[in-house]
Amino acid sequence: MADFPLAVNVQGDYGYKVIVVDDGNTIDEVIQVAVDQIVGVLVAPFPEGTVLRAKTHGAEDPLDSSLTVANANFIQMEALQIYAEK
Amino acid sequence: MALLKMEEWYDLARETNWTPKYVSEEQLFPAPMSDDHGIPIEAWENFDEPYKSTYRDYVNAQRDKDVGAYSVKAALARADFFKNASPHWKALLALHFSAVCWAEFHSASAFARMTRFSRSPGMRNMATFGTLDEIRHGQIQIYFAYEFLKHDAVFDWCHKSSKTENWIIISLRHALDDIAHTRDATSAAIMLNMGLELAFTNLQFVALSADAAKCGDHSFATMLQSIQSDEARHAQIGEPMVRIMVENGKKKEAQQMVEIAFWRMWKQFSALSGIGMDYYTPLEHRENSLKDFMEEWVIGQFGRTMQALGLDLPWYWDILKEDISSFHHANQIGVYVYRATEWWRPIASTSPAEREWLEEKYPGWNETYGKCWDVISENIRNGDYEKTTPIAPPLICNMCGLEVVGTAGEKWHPVDHHVDIDDRRYHFCSEPCKWIFELEPARYKGHASIIDRVFDGTIGPEPDDFYNYMGQSPAERGTDGYEYRWVDGYDQDQNETEEEKLYATG
Repeated sequence: MADFPLAVNVQGDYGYKVIVVDDGNTIDEVIQVAVDQIVGVLVAPFPEGTVLRAKTHGAEDPLDSSLTVANANFIQMEALQIYAEK
Repeated sequence: MALLKMEEWYDLARETNWTPKYVSEEQLFPAPMSDDHGIPIEAWENFDEPYKSTYRDYVNAQRDKDVGAYSVKAALARADFFKNASPHWKALLALHFSAVCWAEFHSASAFARMTRFSRSPGMRNMATFGTLDEIRHGQIQIYFAYEFLKHDAVFDWCHKSSKTENWIIISLRHALDDIAHTRDATSAAIMLNMGLELAFTNLQFVALSADAAKCGDHSFATMLQSIQSDEARHAQIGEPMVRIMVENGKKKEAQQMVEIAFWRMWKQFSALSGIGMDYYTPLEHRENSLKDFMEEWVIGQFGRTMQALGLDLPWYWDILKEDISSFHHANQIGVYVYRATEWWRPIASTSPAEREWLEEKYPGWNETYGKCWDVISENIRNGDYEKTTPIAPPLICNMCGLEVVGTAGEKWHPVDHHVDIDDRRYHFCSEPCKWIFELEPARYKGHASIIDRVFDGTIGPEPDDFYNYMGQSPAERGTDGYEYRWVDGYDQDQNETEEEKLYATG
């Protein structure tokens, strides 16, 4: 288990922020770390029931929520968009 | 003894050149310092500056300018202007002086290189005056700023800032080192004069001078006008240089130099002048927005100048037209929420009336950047001041050194461009920043942004390590210039006495 910095942009935020997660964290856990640090600070809380997904910047498809950082083939400071699933 | 008229001897004197006997041309003008781009000396000797001056005329003119500027300052010295100035204006003065003073003084080095190593004798002549100009600009601005030291220790940063590793200073120093201080005399002349001085100094010095006069800061206004008159003269060095390059088959090289320098300096001025004009200038004294000014004087006038010189409009011109409505708004949010990382007292400048102005000048501001300010404002109303600063630091562009930002709110559009080299990810805020990096990766890849330095262990893990690294003692970490009393309008507290009220006026 090791620290892994990622760049995240939560839907509504003005720019990317850098968070540090554990490489054993799942994508869902990464999303939660980002939400805890950005929602209510720069972005208004999402409506109840909103499902948040993450994808690498510019990708079409979301990442598997149960995928771990270690297995995601990320490079350090990989950029992830975190957005509300429609 | 009768003196000859200037026009009788000027061209002879400024074109005087010589053929070295004791060393070779290459030893006298080594390529890393001079770089003639293979253009013959006869072409370089055709350098012809539009505004001509003799040393005698220069000394007389500069003396008159100094008398003008310093006498206005002396006359106003007893006025309590600074004490009575709003936090808006104080923030603007602190930002201007601490960013600009040393940058001007450092430019003297670039002009001195041109003085010694330019292949054109006429340019060596003009660059001599440019060197003296920049020494003057460093001195006069530090002198004017130091008047405020007795009121506010932040003005110590006018001298101190360039010697720190503050993230904003890293950004500015990197840009100026890239275009002026690590280039041969020819490239520095084109990049500094065209890409910075001709393109942008009007923004910071003429527009700001007008705003300063409206705010009643006549000392600052006069100083800025005085400086800009020098810029108008020595910025002209770039145009004849570009002409010589274009006429001698080096258009592509000149084009690239201008494109690199212009974009690098656009990023700096979007932060300095963009935040200055659209946020720090008190509302009732604002005239043009950054966008207004950029559209007329840069996209319009500078664009035409480039074409008149035989260059093309930069390939990223359409990107620039979008950037002037977005980049500085996003960076203003970052400058505010990460205010402890700045040495002055940043202001939000997003009271209801100011938001109306921003919406008028930038339609859609409220549904985009305004949405972030809604959350910040609500936290302030609830007394949750700690929540107005994110725990997560921002991602920093590995070229311009500012935040990697996109569009916020209801039109959310994240922006990120990247390059991977040797298992390291480099991030960029824009295609042009990435393009500059990719032109010469070896030149840029060794540089670490402030965030890189956090994660590569250069900066220790504790919060104080970060501020100490940036040269900020606890007293030098920015706080809200209005102490949060802007959120529902500056006149919200009707029970305050006149002395306690903080008006958003000059």
